[in-house]
Amino acid sequence: MAESTLGYVVASYVLTWVVILGMLVRVLGAVRQARHEYEAVVKGDFNS
Amino acid sequence: MAFRDDLRRVRAIVWKDLTTERRSKAGFNAVAALGVTILVLFGFALGPDAQALRDAAAGALWLAVLFAGVLAFNRSYQVELDGGALEALLLYPGARWAIFAGKFIANLIFVVAMLVIVVTVGLVLFQVTVPSDWGKIVGIMLLGVVGLVALGTFYAAMSSRSRAREVLLPLLLYPMLIPVLLASMEATKAFLQGDLMNQAGSWAQMLGLFDVIFLVATFLAFEYVIEV
Amino acid sequence: MTTDRSTFDPPKAGWWPAFGWVSFAFFAFTQVYAVVTSPADRMMGHMQKMMYVHVPAAWVTFLAFGIVLAASVLFLWKEDERHDLIAASAAEVGSVFCALTLILGMLWGRPTWGVWWSWDARLTSTLVLFLIFVGYLALRSFVEDPQRRGQWSAAVGILGAINVPIVWMSVKWWRTLHQLQSNPRSLDPVYLRGLMLNFLAFTLLMVFFIRRRYEAARYERAAEHASQAAALGGYDG
Repeated sequence: MAESTLGYVVASYVLTWVVILGMLVRVLGAVRQARHEYEAVVKGDFNS
Repeated sequence: MAFRDDLRRVRAIVWKDLTTERRSKAGFNAVAALGVTILVLFGFALGPDAQALRDAAAGALWLAVLFAGVLAFNRSYQVELDGGALEALLLYPGARWAIFAGKFIANLIFVVAMLVIVVTVGLVLFQVTVPSDWGKIVGIMLLGVVGLVALGTFYAAMSSRSRAREVLLPLLLYPMLIPVLLASMEATKAFLQGDLMNQAGSWAQMLGLFDVIFLVATFLAFEYVIEV
Repeated sequence: MTTDRSTFDPPKAGWWPAFGWVSFAFFAFTQVYAVVTSPADRMMGHMQKMMYVHVPAAWVTFLAFGIVLAASVLFLWKEDERHDLIAASAAEVGSVFCALTLILGMLWGRPTWGVWWSWDARLTSTLVLFLIFVGYLALRSFVEDPQRRGQWSAAVGILGAINVPIVWMSVKWWRTLHQLQSNPRSLDPVYLRGLMLNFLAFTLLMVFFIRRRYEAARYERAAEHASQAAALGGYDG
């Protein structure tokens, strides 16, 4: 019984860390992409 | 003076919505037929054992009314949208709540009429014996429909004017309807089973409270949603 | 809506990146600390340790939704688009934590009660909250105009927030009348410090994620505004 519940606990922690790290990657990627697009738009105007 | 004008506006909208509905009689008949069809499907899902059907009758009735009634909500804005009349309606000075009240009342009449048909057929299909004090069940159903129509009319003001309106209305509306539906189903179930009068009463009170809360909330929020 | 230029300026990163590093380091620390220092419970054994992820995740979910509510009210009141962007960012982050809370709740429930789902008030209300989050985000994805999107989202968010406690109340009454026991969870004080530390760590992470998501949204709006201004003739940057 103790062994089987340990599996659930481990799964919980693994899932939590995966989700949090995943959110970090997505959120930072979103900022980077949005910033590049913004800079591209601004540069484009200066060239025209 | 302004309030009397608003009341006149409410009546005008109710009349307009209902007469447009009546000229396209296909609208009401189709929705009522759909409600009955859904009941039949529930019958297949839950039956054919008579006791199982009786136990599930209250729930199935309400879900049939919900799924069919939802069709009415988007359509109630459709008429204005097709003719570009909504912008014109908003140009007139006056409280936005009058528009909401007009549509709410028109939808209420529509859904109540549909409910009468669906419930009558449902009681037969699900082999329900109606208790002698059936007036109370009518009261419960009216309370439930008020909550359903208030929230449905409100969310349809948005969904009818966006893309993917068929999925957006149910997606937004159904979670909001859970308290009203739960209370309606439980109260109806208790009445039909004739026992534990106290239970039904407590659900009825909760339902009344929910109606008040959601009516006030939707009336207040409507102007933010219809203006833009 | 405000024509305050600052709404369309790009956001400043400031000290937020440092905040992010600190939050993550703190999170790693509190997780290890709580797991290592908490003694095994007499009845629950190792299951007790799940508390350090499940409960903070639930806490952060409702905190994020509280931010959605507050930002929505502020938006309708002040008509500053930035409040709408904060609400949207909080909704995205909150919905992820909400899904996590639900799955962790199921991972708790299965070994404890033998079923994956139990229709109790807490779990059910969290599921309804998740559906409200999803509806909110779906609505935003279907509406292009920023003004309309902001006002509609705010109305949906505020009504959704009103609904959650009502759902909780109804489900509780429903279960009471059907004579189903609720599951009391008392907390032994020895676990409290680890729990509080993890509350704080999760909250800091949530704030960081919302801030970054908000920055991305601000950049998007700044880009939209700049290209619109350029199309109209002359970027007055």
